[in-house]
This record gives sequence, C-alpha cells and structure tokens, in this order.
Amino acid sequence: MTQAFANTPPAPLPPIEFNVPELFKTELKNGMQVVVVSDERLPLVSYRLAFRWGDINDPDGLTGVSSAVATLLTEGTESYTSRQLADEVERLGASLSVHASDDFTIVSASTLSLYSSEILRLAAEVTRRPTFPEKEIDLYRRNTVEHLKFQRSQPGFLAGEQASRLIYGDHPYSKVSPSASDIEKLTRADLRVIHAAALIPNNSTFIVVGDVDREAVVREIDELFGSWPGGSLIEPTFALFPIRSSRTLTIVDRPGSAQSNILLANGAIDRNHPDYFPLVVMNQVLGAGASSRVFMNLREEKGYTYGAYTRLNTKRLGGDFEATAEVRTAVTGESLKEFFFELDRIRDQKVPDGELNDAKNFLTGVFPIRAETQEGLTNLIVNQLLYRLPDDYLKTYRSQIERVNVSDVQRVAQTYIRPDEMAIVIVGDAKEIVPQAREYAGDIEVLDTEGNSINIPGQEAAAN
Amino acid sequence: MSEFFKLQPLEVEEFKLKNGLRVVLNKDDSVPVVSVAVYYDVGSRNERDDRTGFAHLFEHMMFQGSENVPKAGHFQFIMKAGGTMNGTTSSERTNYYETLPANQLPLALWLEADRMRSLAVTQENLDNQREAVKEEKRLRYDNQPYGQIFDLINEMIYKNFANAHSTIGSMEHLDAASVEDIREFFRIYYAPNNAVLSISGSFNPAKVRELVDTYFGSIPNQPLPETINVEEQPEVANTYREWEDKLAPFPAFLIGWKIPRRRTPEFNALYMAGKMLYDGDSSRLYQKLVKGDESVIQLFGFTDERRGPSSIFIGAIPKPDKDLSKIRDLIMHEIRDIAENGPDPKEMQKVHNQLVNDTVRTRQSSMSRAQQIAEFALYDGDPKIVNSELDELFAVSPEQIKTTVAQYLNTENRALLDIVPAGKA
Repeated sequence: MTQAFANTPPAPLPPIEFNVPELFKTELKNGMQVVVVSDERLPLVSYRLAFRWGDINDPDGLTGVSSAVATLLTEGTESYTSRQLADEVERLGASLSVHASDDFTIVSASTLSLYSSEILRLAAEVTRRPTFPEKEIDLYRRNTVEHLKFQRSQPGFLAGEQASRLIYGDHPYSKVSPSASDIEKLTRADLRVIHAAALIPNNSTFIVVGDVDREAVVREIDELFGSWPGGSLIEPTFALFPIRSSRTLTIVDRPGSAQSNILLANGAIDRNHPDYFPLVVMNQVLGAGASSRVFMNLREEKGYTYGAYTRLNTKRLGGDFEATAEVRTAVTGESLKEFFFELDRIRDQKVPDGELNDAKNFLTGVFPIRAETQEGLTNLIVNQLLYRLPDDYLKTYRSQIERVNVSDVQRVAQTYIRPDEMAIVIVGDAKEIVPQAREYAGDIEVLDTEGNSINIPGQEAAAN
Repeated sequence: MSEFFKLQPLEVEEFKLKNGLRVVLNKDDSVPVVSVAVYYDVGSRNERDDRTGFAHLFEHMMFQGSENVPKAGHFQFIMKAGGTMNGTTSSERTNYYETLPANQLPLALWLEADRMRSLAVTQENLDNQREAVKEEKRLRYDNQPYGQIFDLINEMIYKNFANAHSTIGSMEHLDAASVEDIREFFRIYYAPNNAVLSISGSFNPAKVRELVDTYFGSIPNQPLPETINVEEQPEVANTYREWEDKLAPFPAFLIGWKIPRRRTPEFNALYMAGKMLYDGDSSRLYQKLVKGDESVIQLFGFTDERRGPSSIFIGAIPKPDKDLSKIRDLIMHEIRDIAENGPDPKEMQKVHNQLVNDTVRTRQSSMSRAQQIAEFALYDGDPKIVNSELDELFAVSPEQIKTTVAQYLNTENRALLDIVPAGKA
C-alpha cells in the first residue's frame, strides 16, 4: 500500500541544541591575549595570531606597507630562507600565511594536530624574526605591480574601487589597493619600521582552536612569545567620512564588456554599532540571499542577471551598504529601476511578519552550519575577539536576531538605506550605459579603467 | 596507509529502494546539522550535439517548482528553515544539495522527492531561466579575462564530442531548448534508478529509512538511459591554437594533457605528480618560475577527474616581455626530471602529509562528506571507498610516478593554447 505524497512541507523533528564551545582566555606578561577553544572532532588545529593593525594604519607616504610586511613575513627569517620556510610548512602538509586587511594583520596556520608544535614554532619565527631580504622585496614589488595591472581587467575590482572612493573619501578605507608607484618606493627600512610598530604583543590576540592540550599549548605559546617585549600603542586619527548630499553616477568605461556591473552604495555602520542586528535582519529580507527580494525580482522575475544581492560591509571604524548585480548591458536602466524600487519599498512599507520570520529563521538556523568546520568556528571566534564584541556574543547571537521586530527593520532601512545619496557605479560599455542610466542621477562622471576622467559618450553630439 | 597516522573510518551505510534509488548514509553527530545530496547520473557528457549547455539549463529548472512547491519555493523553504542549498552541473553528473539544522531533515527529503517525482515546467519559467543562464555564462566566461580558456582547451584535448564540449554550452543551443526537451530529459535522466541520495550528519538511521521510503518509495522507475560512450584514442585532437582574448591584459598560455580515468593507478600517480609540480610555494614550478626565474605572475595547475578520459593542466601568466617558449621549456624540463629521476623521497613525504591533511579537512563538513560518498556510490558503486581512497593514493610508488609521468606528461602529445590580448596577435 502506498501512502499519498504529502502536499505540504513536513513539520521539523524535535530540535537539537547547539552549544557554542567555551572560550578559555589568559594573557601573557607582555600583554598578548591568548584564547584556547577545544575542538576535538578531528585531529586538526588552527592558529590565528591577530594584530589590531591593518592597511588603514599605513603612514602617509607609505601606502601598501602593512600588506607588504604581512606578505613578506614568510619570505625569509633569521633562521630560514623563503624556500626553506615553504619546504618546512608544506612538508608537514600544513599551511602558514599572513594577511593584512583594512583593520587587522593576521598570521594564520593550520595543521594536523600531530604537527601542532612544529607549525607553532614556525609561526613564531615568521612573526618575530623576519629579515625582509632585499631580493624578496624586489620580487614582491615587481609581482605586485603586475597583479595591480591584472586587477584592472576585472570589472568587480573596478566597481569596488570607485565605490570605496566615493563612500570613504579621504579616509583610508577608500583605498582598496595601492598604486604601482606606492609599491615601487617601499624600502626595506620602511618594512622594518612598520614591523616593529605594528606587530607588538600588547596589541595582539593569539587564538587556538582544535584538538590540543590546553595547558601544553599555552605553555608553548609562552615559551615562544613570552620574552617578546611590548611596544607602544598608536591610535592614529583619520579623516572623517564625507557627507553625501545627492545621488551620483560614475561609469567606468570597459570596452568589450558583455555585461554591466552595477554597484549602488552608501555609508552605513561599524561592526560594534548597536544597530548591527536589525541591519543584518533587514539585509537578509532585502538582498543577502537567493530568497531575498532583489534576487527574486531581478533574477527570478525579470531574468536580468545571474545574481542580485545587497550586503553590509562592517569594519572597525565604519562601513557601507551595497547593492550589486551583473546584468546584460541592454537592461542596465531597467535594473536600476528595480533596485531603487526595492530600496524604496523596504523603507516605505513595513516588512510582513512572515517574511521577517523567514529571514530570522535563516540567520539563526544557519549559525551552527557556519560553525561546522574548524575554519568556520575559528572565524566566528576571531571576529568576536578582534572587534571586541561582548564575551557572550556567540552564545547570544541567535537571541539577538530573534529580538528584531518589524519596526526595527523599517527604522534601520530608513536610516541606513539612502537612495537619494547613493553612489551609483557601473562598469561596462559606457556608450550603451549612459543613455539608460543618466536619468538616475544629476552628476555623471565617466572614467577609464585607470580612473581618469574621459568625455561622456554622446555628450559632444548633444551639444550640437 | 602510513603508519604514523590512523584515521577513523567514516560510518557508511547503504540501501536501495524497490524503484532502484540508491541511498547512502553517513551518521556523524558532532554538530546538529544534516546534509542531503542527490546525484543524478547525467552531465554535459550526455548532451546532444545541438543542445550543448542543456544539462546545466535543466539544473536551473529544478528550482522552478514542482507539484507541491511553487517557483523559487525550493530556495525559500530551505532558507526559512535555516539552511543553505545549491546545485551544480559537470561533465559527469548533476548534483543538488542542502545543509540544514538536523531536525529539518524531513523538509529536505520532501523537497528533493517532490521535484524528482513531479517537476513542473512552463514556457515562462524556461524563458526566464534561459536568461539567467545566459547571464551566468557572460558573468563567468564571456566577461572575464581568460574566462573561456578551459572550455577552449577541452576542445583541443578531447576528440569525442561527449568529452570535448563545454558544460555552459552555446547561446544558440540555449535558445533552441524547448519545454518538450525539458520534459523528455526529465523522464529519461531524472528517474530514481538513475540517482543516488546521500545523507550525512546527525540523524536517527531508522527514522531516515522511514522518511526516505515515505517520500521516494512511490516514484516510478524508468528504463535506464543508454550508456554513453566516452572512449577515445590517447592522441589529443589538436596540439596548438592561438586565441585572441579581448579582455586579457597579458599574454598567457595553457598546456593540457589527456590522461587515464579517475582512480586508476595512472591517474593517482599523475595527481600526486601534479601536486609536486604546481601545488603550493614549495612546488617545483613555483620555485622555478615565480621564484628562481622570476618570469611568471601567476602559475596554476590542476587535474580534471572524470569517469572516462581525464586531463591535467598547467598554465601561466608570464610577466610582460618574457619569452613564453622559454617558460614552457622550463616546465617541460621539470616534467622530464620526474620522468627520468622520479620524485625525491622528501617530495613523497610532503605529498603524503598533504593528502592526509586534505582528507581530514574534507571530512569536517557534512556537505563534503555527503558529496564524497554520493560520488563513490554513483561512479564506483561503493560509497565505502571513502575509507580506502587514501590507501590507494599511498600505494602509488615513486617508481610508478616516474614511469607514468614519462608516459603521459613527458610527451609531445599535449595541447597548447596561446592566449593573446586583443590587438597583439
């Protein structure tokens, strides 16, 4: 006998509790904060040594220096050449890398727990005793200059570059990438000075997640880093973010483009802002995923694009709200129309309860999925610690999401989505885009892919 | 496997429904999450020569509604239950998968069953998804520098149409696809006896059997599709082509070799040789070209594993004004060195450690476990290979790597694609 197939979705089974692991915190005498989280699911360990110093801390005239320091830490130390480091790390099947973002510099290492001591020693070696060999600096300069040229062939990079300039103005968040001349003038002396100023234990957090003996690993960290003297903390002052008073249109002419890359942006909040949770929920309704409004409209109803999304960039000192889609050139204007329709709608009308609950259910349900891998769990913990979020942040994350109501969503939509002040950036074929997009803003600028102003196509003819 | 490291085997169970649906389970309660993957034995290899891109277009249609799920309802049901989902198409198979809080397993099974038994197709939805797929093609291939080079080199490596043509397909063929084509493809390939259902994560096995039976048990089976012939001679179809890329900022090149199918000792040996050549900063070619010779901006290589003839690629974007043929000579020099002298013992040790590390990392997520066991079930008829795969790789000797590299890589039987920026040909 066969049962009829149920025509409505089945009810869930009883829920299973997900417990966020406990963070064990301690501090070395030199001020380095150490956090250990036990994760014994698999024989793996992840290390993150994070410094609250990032690209925005590049001193005037030394743009790109913090990223150069980060990359070059693994290119030679007092005891190892670049080649020897690569051989040592990969011989263990492990990874060791250093990266600087806007706000932080992070030494990341991960390995089978079998080799946890070996990789920890190498992490200490590159952090404390880099030598910045001239030959490696020279190679870094030349390779980076070529990478910068390569980036300019990619439409997503060009759109992001202009949006950051327009939203962040004179603040260093506006620089998504140094210029070739910035890179060419970096010297070994610069790198050594920045290394000494930026990588200091009293401005750092060492995070260990994995299958390790807690006491043993803390002891090892103390042996490797305990003698490292602290330095002085510098909190520089930065330019204020510009105040935008009108909508602008910036077109980057990329001849031969098969699509228009559209990016709409305005300034929003930093990562510690009290409106963070309502904004995350609002963004989920509006555009964070494949069941959000802009995707349903621009892709599923209209077929203009493969994907349309909105996102929040929340950094330590500020942030922005963005809406993006890559659309076929002929529907650039129509796509702008639909974007602004959705931006106005979420500001003007209250989100229905059902839609709000769907968004909240997604955010709370997906939380354990994000913590499923050690990498994912580590990233959640790193963010909590680096942004100095409350100790119970991960534990209360889901209840903070659940607390958001319809009025909160409308309030933050009206506060942080500002269609009349938005920067519209479109990368593509300017002569096709200008006629479709010009009605969406008073001010229009057209740039080449290097960022230089060029004539607005069609303008000369119109003047006749 | 090696004596220094004992990996706990994954718990794998399998059973088959009366309609032929193969079900594979991996229970793991470490996180209250469950992943479901459905693998259909159909990919671009099964496409007609006037319908390239069809298997992938069809994948999009699987999200457009079925008897009890409205258009785009699949996304919404999963997301509002706190899950993530997607689908992908390759030459070999089409897969659909979702990860959810463990208590939402019934929803995932109901959704997968509903579209397996009752896909709804309308002209309007087809037209809409055709446009979305065309934008996907523009986004990923046509509007990216170097975006088309892998499709181009596959046409040079393979002679058999089933192997050679691209998964994204051509705009003309996408335009030609009809609602009738979709219905027919669904009937032939989307039957329970042409699929594997894989579930990994936290669940009660008895409950799973009951749910699977309830939702999938009544879906009728179909005559199995004709097996596709993917065999071809070892000679590549075309050894040289120059191609003008209007978006590329620099010249580049890509070399491709045709190699034996996945999980043969030869494939495994070449996979390991590939790691020695191009994987990581300590690899031979990185040290030779990016470091030593300083002639290359970007170096990359990978293997494309298939059930039939497979391939391995090495490509580079050299610095401006570098002599591309000299760089290729250096690549062939390293290949010849392995072919004549075999790998270094230290290189073997490194690759073994990397393989263990890769295997452990892949096991962290229920989704990657579900996908792995589904693949072994579909391609090899045995999901438990997930527990012996590493032994197969460790069984490859340095001597085997040496002779296999000599036979398959150190040869003129390879395809070279030269990419020239527009106006510089």
